[in-house]
Amino acid sequence: MARLLSLFPVFYSYIIYVLCGTVTLTVIYVIRPRWYATGFWFHELVCVLVEFAVLVEIADHMFQPFPAIRHLGRALTLLISFTFALVYILPAILQRHEPGATLLDFALRASVTKAVILAGLVFTAHRFGLRLGRNVAGLMLGFSIYLGVNVANFAAAQNFGQALYIRILWVMSPIAFTLCLLVWTIALWELAPMPRTDSVRPAPGGNSQALTLELARFNGALSRFLRR
Amino acid sequence: MIMLVYAGIAIGFLILVLGLLARTQPKKSDEGLAGKDYAQCLGDAGWLDLSERIFDPSDARWLREDLAFPKLANSLTCARKRLAIRWLRALQASFDDLVRRPEPASSEAPLANSAPSWQMLWLTVRFQFLLSYALLVVRLFGPYHRLIPSFTWIPFPQKGASRIRSVLADNTDLN
Repeated sequence: MARLLSLFPVFYSYIIYVLCGTVTLTVIYVIRPRWYATGFWFHELVCVLVEFAVLVEIADHMFQPFPAIRHLGRALTLLISFTFALVYILPAILQRHEPGATLLDFALRASVTKAVILAGLVFTAHRFGLRLGRNVAGLMLGFSIYLGVNVANFAAAQNFGQALYIRILWVMSPIAFTLCLLVWTIALWELAPMPRTDSVRPAPGGNSQALTLELARFNGALSRFLRR
Repeated sequence: MIMLVYAGIAIGFLILVLGLLARTQPKKSDEGLAGKDYAQCLGDAGWLDLSERIFDPSDARWLREDLAFPKLANSLTCARKRLAIRWLRALQASFDDLVRRPEPASSEAPLANSAPSWQMLWLTVRFQFLLSYALLVVRLFGPYHRLIPSFTWIPFPQKGASRIRSVLADNTDLN
């Protein structure tokens, strides 16, 4: 457990934050119901930001054993985040003026962005033929379930209005998160490091310089071929 | 309508992630290429000669123009296109093998913090981009099409044209 905690510090911080946040919100709901909406959206906005950090952590773990693409996951996550923030999230937020609708739209669009990041990461891993360990695959699967339900749920809340959300749809997010927690619990029950690709021998020469040279050799050959 | 789009996105995303997670297994190499390390062949003159032969249009031109066998020339072009795609895929497979090479367990200094890590990523992304572009051009236009488009049809101003010519001459000297 200690090893898992040290491997996924951001993820476990996120879980503790969600647990404490939920307890605090329940207390607020019982004692001061008028403050609940403000508290809920504050909690939700911090959650959105921390979830991006968790995605960066997952991305780092996916490509960590492979020196040539060690930073690929982080680069991909940051690139998609900034692109979507500039093109998809910010323009929509700046257009709206009502705080409730703006927050809901932000939560929806942030969830779509996170879903795109996850899909991009899994696609890239598949593209390079990487095997994912049970820990990382389980984290991604749990997050995918949670994000998929959130996207549909927030869109329904935006489309059908507050009344339907308060009556029926509010229960969807907690159910999705509980399911997600179940998947994470099973996946992180014991430490399962990323499996190594058995058919491939270790990096040539055992150092980064040799690998860089070999990558450069491939690039040089392809560049010469393209210029023919 | 927007609601349906987002519901579609959510369902499509879940199907995509579940499908890809189930398939994140190492790629099985092409049966015809199995057992051969193409990374080692890259510096081999024969391996590069093979590419010269595949992408050389003179055979097809000879059949079409000198011998006047246009159908045979077309057939040769199709066969060469298949070979070209296969050659590019083999190059990609060997590059992917190189990228998938894990860090040796005995390595004293982990590569994670080393400066060339981002440089290696850049080289990997650059190679993947160029190879995808080459595959696209070969699939769309065949193996005898120029891979880098010629810009001779653009009427450059005289000053700019002379500068480009000097840069091209420098590049040729370097090669």
